[in-house]
Formats: sequence, structure tokens, C-alpha cells
Amino acid sequence: MGIKIEDLTVTFRNKVTAVHHADLEIPKGIFGLLGENGAGKTTLMRVLTTVLTPTSGTVTLDGMFYSEGNFEKIRRKIGYLPQEIDLYPNLSVQECLEYMGDLSGIPRQTYRERIQYYLEKTRLSEHRRKKMKQLSGGMKRRVGLIQALLNEPEFLIVDEPTTGLDPEERIRIRNLLVDFSEGRTVLFSTHVVEDLAATCNRLAVMKKGKFLYSGNMKELLEQARGHVWICKTKEEGRARELEKNYHVSSKQYAGDELQMKFISQTPPQIECSSCEATLEDAYIYLANREP
Amino acid sequence: MTREMKIALTFQKQAYAVFFAVMLSLVRGVAYSNEIGIALEAPMAILAFTFCADTYVQEIAGKRSEIWRLCPEKKRMHSIYRRMVIQVMFLLAVAAASYGLVFLFQKPSVYGMEQNGLESEIYRFFVYLAAVAVTIGFWGLLSNLISCLFRNMWAGIGGCLALWLVTNSTIGDRILGPWNLFSYSFRELEDSGDFSWIYGKVVCIGIGIMAAAVLPEIIRKRG
Repeated sequence: MGIKIEDLTVTFRNKVTAVHHADLEIPKGIFGLLGENGAGKTTLMRVLTTVLTPTSGTVTLDGMFYSEGNFEKIRRKIGYLPQEIDLYPNLSVQECLEYMGDLSGIPRQTYRERIQYYLEKTRLSEHRRKKMKQLSGGMKRRVGLIQALLNEPEFLIVDEPTTGLDPEERIRIRNLLVDFSEGRTVLFSTHVVEDLAATCNRLAVMKKGKFLYSGNMKELLEQARGHVWICKTKEEGRARELEKNYHVSSKQYAGDELQMKFISQTPPQIECSSCEATLEDAYIYLANREP
Repeated sequence: MTREMKIALTFQKQAYAVFFAVMLSLVRGVAYSNEIGIALEAPMAILAFTFCADTYVQEIAGKRSEIWRLCPEKKRMHSIYRRMVIQVMFLLAVAAASYGLVFLFQKPSVYGMEQNGLESEIYRFFVYLAAVAVTIGFWGLLSNLISCLFRNMWAGIGGCLALWLVTNSTIGDRILGPWNLFSYSFRELEDSGDFSWIYGKVVCIGIGIMAAAVLPEIIRKRG
């Protein structure tokens, strides 16, 4: 079943429309949400967590409509990690999570077992007695994620869960989310394209409140095929010209030559070769392609 | 309860409450012991509405309110009320200690010492404690309610300060008389048998109960 969003619009009091007639289906499993800053991702997530009431449109979770009468039931099915969260600085990690467990109405024995399990999974066991204010940004992020997982939600919404984590930790958290997504729905919003490439099969790309793409990762890569090019140059002037005319997705020095990867809808009139598109290239292609 | 104590009674809050009590007992001059209650009640109200203004809105400031919304309403409200009780109990202890500190620093003459001395002083202390308990509870609940309504603790503090200025004035006393929120402070000092100030405290209790009852609706709507 999963989540179904139909003709969703969110307009704020200042007349800014953050989500504009959006339609989306989020099936079971891990689903990526990608988009530039201000694309409307967080607004969409706030609607899905029932924090924000949409101006128009409907949302259903496993066939249950988002309405005042259903909010209590819906909320019990949701776990949420917001982009920014400052968990109780004067509580220790263990106390903070126990408090959140109590607040969620989970039986004490159950939440204690889950806390222990997730602390081990996120390598925080040795820091359980530390106060929240003593933790690094990455550690706080991991505690935030554990609180979202505590009630074993059917629908988990995570906004930038890997921010501030080192590469090894990022992999661990990604794997944890993949394991958790079995039989559940996980909405994974991030700017880190790499994280989505490593975890999701399906994703949606947002821009200016609309979905540019929603579907399979392979199909998105397919769309970008034939539009990604590599060019090598020694001349600085040529490199500048390329940057001016195309969307350069990467550049690096290989010996004395500068190798540039860029996106072009039509074959460029310069000496270059076509190459395989990565998810990052596909995103750049999609976000900048002319309608 | 221990976790709520750590959340609601941070070191900073405890420190400024104690500092306030010590400074007040040092600065506020008192000649007779029956003036202590008057000297302390209104400042204790200021301490209460400042102290309790962030009871819930700290969840908004800490960006935790969106997670709170996902938790059962009953649990959320229990947590808020527990925090409130903890804070009021702490402030009551501070108010009781302040009474002793005024004695210590100001060395007032015990009023009516020649008649029944210590007995009447203990009686006066417990009457003060009862009156100030209502005052602290009322101003704490009101400030939390206004803060939640505007999702800002300064709104709670500002709103309460405005009401404090009106009621803790001769105009407030003249208009409201024994029904004034600070009726205990405006009572007839010489007449220890006059308990008409209780009406004002009944008003405090009534408004306080209403504030506690309306809070769940505000939290539900405003989050």
C-alpha cells in the first residue's frame, strides 16, 4: 500500500507555494527524495508527519486518509527525524531515549531492549552515559535517528540522516535504514546523491514544489544516457568556455590535463566522448533540462 | 520524574532562582515579621512566570515539537503537567527559604511577640506558604499557557508582566479589592483574623484550573 499523495498543494500565509499540485506514490521499501534547497522536500515531509495541513489535495497512508479524525492513528505509525533537532542537552543518551520511549507510550521493557539494540547498531553503546550536550554533531544525529526508530514505525521519514557523519558511519546508517525498510516504508530525503544511489531503487526529484521525476532509479539513469560527456583540455580558456556553456558535473586534473564531465542535451560541437551517467549526473540533467 | 526534573530544572534556572531569593531578602527592607509575606509574594510571582514560561515552548525552541506531535496526547500532557509540578514545588521551596533568609538578613521584630510569640510566627509562616503556593501555581500556569498560545516564552513573560503591573498596584487594589490576585499582599496587616484575601486566591485557583484545562486544546492546535 504505502503512501499516496494526490494533487497536493501547500501555500503559506505569505502566499509562497512550497508544494504545487504534487502527485506521488511511495511504495513499501526505501524511497529517496532528492531536490535542491527550497524545493519543498521539508514541507512535504511536514505534511506527511501531520505537522502541516495542506492547502488542498489528499494524502493517504495504507489507505487511511490524512484527516483530523485519523491523525492519532496515523501518528502512531510514523517515525520522524527532522533536519534539525536539539535533543535534551542535560539528559544522557540513555535517559533521552528512555524519555522519548515513555513519551511514545512504548512499554518500558520493550523500549529498553530497542534502545540497547539500536545503540549497538549505531555504535553509541559506549556513549550511552554521556550527556547529549557532550556529543558531536554526528553522534547527536545518530541518537535522533534512534528516537525515530524506537516505536518501530510503519512509515519512517528521515530528513538528511547522514549529515555530519564520517564515511564509515554513513555506510552503517544507510545499511541500518535498508534493513529497517523491510516490510515498511522509509522516505529518505537527502542532498547526498551518493546515499540514495547506495540505498534506493525508487526515488522522486523535486524542484520548485513540483516533482520532476518519480520512479525507478535505472529509468532516471536511462533518461540521462547520451547526455553526459567527458572532455580533456590543457587550455584554461577552453575550460572556462565549457563551464560557461554547459553544466559541469565534475572536473579533476589528470596529469597536466583537466578532465571535465558535463551535461548537454544535444551533442556538443567540441571534441569529447560520451560516458555513463551517475545518479548525480542524472539529477543535474533532470534539474536543468529545458521543458 | 527524574528525567523531567533534569529537563525542567536546569542548573541555570536553579541558580537564577536562588540568586533572586538571596538578593530579594538582602534588598527588601522589613521592620516587622508580619510584613515578610507582603515583601515576598509579588516578587515570587515574577520569579514564577519567568521560571515556568519555557515549560513547553522549550520543545519548540529545541525543534523537538514536531516529534512531540507524533506522541500520544495523553502522554505529552502528563509530561507537561509533571514539569509544572516539579517547578512549582521547587519555587515553593525557594519561597519558604526566602522567608527564612529575610529573617536572617533583615532581622525583623517578631510581630505580637509579647502575646503568643513563636506560635503566631509559625502560623503566619504557614499562611504565607499557602498563599504563595497559590500565587506561584497561578503565575506559572498562566505564563506557560500564554507562551504555548504564542509559541514564544517572551509572550508568556510579557503577558504576565502586564497583568502583574495592573494587579499589583493601588488601582488594581481599588478596583478588585479582596478579589485581586494579590489580595494577600494588600490585606489589612494589623487584623490577623481578616481572611477576606482568600477570595483573591480563589480567583487564582479558578483561573489556574481553567488554564490547566484549556492547555491540551492549545497544544493540540498550536503544537
